Amino acid sequence: MRRVFFVAAMTMASALAAPPTPPAPSGPPLGPPPYQMRAPLPAGDRLAGGKAGAALISNLCGACHLAGGMGTNLLTKQRVILGEPPESGLLENRQDLTQNYVKIIVRRGRMAMPGLTRVEVTDAELDAIAAYLGKAGP
Amino acid sequence: MELTLPPRLSATRFRQALQAFEGVVGKGWVLATDEDRDAYSDIYAPGSEKEWPASAALAPGSVEEVQAIVRLANEYKTPLWPTSRGKNLGYGANAPRMPGTIVLDLGRMNRILELDTTLGYCVLEPGVGFFDLYEHLQREKAPLWMSVPGNAWGSVIGNALDHGIGYTPYGLHARNLCGLEVVLPDGGLLRTGMGAMQGNHSWHLFPLSYGPDWTQMFTQSNLGVVTKAGVWLQPAPEGSLLLTWDIPNEEDIGWVVDTITPLKLAGVIDQNVFVPSWLGKIVLKGQRRDFWDKPGAIPDSRVQELLKEHELGYWQAQVRLYGDEAVNRAKADVVKRAFGKHLAGPPLEETWKTGDPASQYDATLGIPSAVALQMGDWIGGRGGHMGFSPVVPASSQHVLGQLRRSRRIIAEHDVDFYASFTISGRFATNINMLMYDRDNPQQVTRIRKLFNALITQTAQAGYAEYRTHLGWMDPVNATFDFNDHAQRRLNERVKDALDPNGILAPGKQGVWPAAYRDLAARRNAT
Repeated sequence: MRRVFFVAAMTMASALAAPPTPPAPSGPPLGPPPYQMRAPLPAGDRLAGGKAGAALISNLCGACHLAGGMGTNLLTKQRVILGEPPESGLLENRQDLTQNYVKIIVRRGRMAMPGLTRVEVTDAELDAIAAYLGKAGP
Repeated sequence: MELTLPPRLSATRFRQALQAFEGVVGKGWVLATDEDRDAYSDIYAPGSEKEWPASAALAPGSVEEVQAIVRLANEYKTPLWPTSRGKNLGYGANAPRMPGTIVLDLGRMNRILELDTTLGYCVLEPGVGFFDLYEHLQREKAPLWMSVPGNAWGSVIGNALDHGIGYTPYGLHARNLCGLEVVLPDGGLLRTGMGAMQGNHSWHLFPLSYGPDWTQMFTQSNLGVVTKAGVWLQPAPEGSLLLTWDIPNEEDIGWVVDTITPLKLAGVIDQNVFVPSWLGKIVLKGQRRDFWDKPGAIPDSRVQELLKEHELGYWQAQVRLYGDEAVNRAKADVVKRAFGKHLAGPPLEETWKTGDPASQYDATLGIPSAVALQMGDWIGGRGGHMGFSPVVPASSQHVLGQLRRSRRIIAEHDVDFYASFTISGRFATNINMLMYDRDNPQQVTRIRKLFNALITQTAQAGYAEYRTHLGWMDPVNATFDFNDHAQRRLNERVKDALDPNGILAPGKQGVWPAAYRDLAARRNAT
């Protein structure tokens, strides 16, 4: 996991123009990493509840918060500095998140993360995501 | 964020308009709480995001809903700011230019309507992100590649419409657009190119039309809402070869450009070649305070120490070749000979062929990533960035002149220098990355002054930006001054003819409709 972070940190890229520097290929042939192969968005009315939190977080948060994503990379670094295991950089591995905290961060953002609009994540979707991630209770 | 009403609209009329919009998209897709307004603000705003506040957002799910919204907007005089996915980070994100404008968020319109693997194109709605399209290509096992920007969180169409660039042979994204569907400012529907004929089979293949083609009229534009676009995709190459050189000295960028440009024009190099300066490498190794803990710019003496300590060149040049292995080898020989006239050592060579693992962060292979957003971590705190992005001829004379000028101005403002040149053929795009802590007022003030100075002095030397942040759209527009700003005057005449109520994106790129022209800031933002 540490290696993943340092590889990811090799970028100063932005929307403005700047591709990351590629690390040397290694290991067996693989498909895309998880953050580039998210679950499809569950079908149905996005304003209605009842969708699976796991699929929602994969599709709606996964580009940053699945393994290899920039949110995972940054959180891994922060967690390691705090003396926590690198695996806790992945949100799904966290045991200390409350549902309310998840909702606040998604809407307000934190550090490099912007707050998300209700088009990106509807309130119903956020309820399901918070229920899924908020293992420390409401 | 509290409500900022659109100019000259009463609170009552605004509420009535929102009710009317609810009749089109449903109550759940009219977003007008304080929290919603926060979510539609510029997360990297140099200073307060309240300079560019949205009053609300609307999220249509279909072309018909977009048309209905635009017609109502004319009736209620509510200006609209269309965004595809709102990830125009560094240029204002999803915030509108004019305070109180309603964001027209097209993110729900996210269907991939067509994928043609034989002729290499797709037809997309604006809400389709680079990740969405990439995953679709993977699932379909389509032998096609995208071109992606450094930060690929956003919309394929939105990035192309805003003249975004990537680093493959398809790196000029606006040139990949072929055939648009556009809702006009009166709610009417237009198809550009061959799509002007009902059922025409060549809509997304022939890049012109019969008579004038209006496609580019709708890029960086406030003349319509693009609801559908054909996007050309690169046939996946059999293999690829990457050549990497560390370039030792600052002024070497001159010969690097003079070496790459003729090879680009001759077709030996197909891609947009990205040449970043050393700071892009140092960030691998920690945060700024690990290398320089004082507030002012990192001094040259420290830069030279860092280059020695970390065995870095001032620049890094990477050339990626695409296609048949033997052809790549032959092309590599030509490129290496050209570089060999200036550098003794050979490049690092990395081959890739279909089926090999590819770096998940390699934009030159058309792979999308959002890791770009990590750059905020370099400064610490709520890190923001803006790019000063002039276009210069791809020759040493112009590139070195631009380098020396921006370097001097940036040094005068005591800001770190991080530049890159992307060589696209006859021109190069020079990005000067300016990073700041949004919560440090001194830094923000300094960056804004610096930005003004860069625009003014660069224009005096004969160069202009290709794209800019909301707060500088007017000043950059003002630098296009031939014949008393003839282009702006034409843009305004067209705008007023097509959009007499000034509904669509007032002030976008410095083009203001008559209805709001008095709000234009025709001088540098401060």
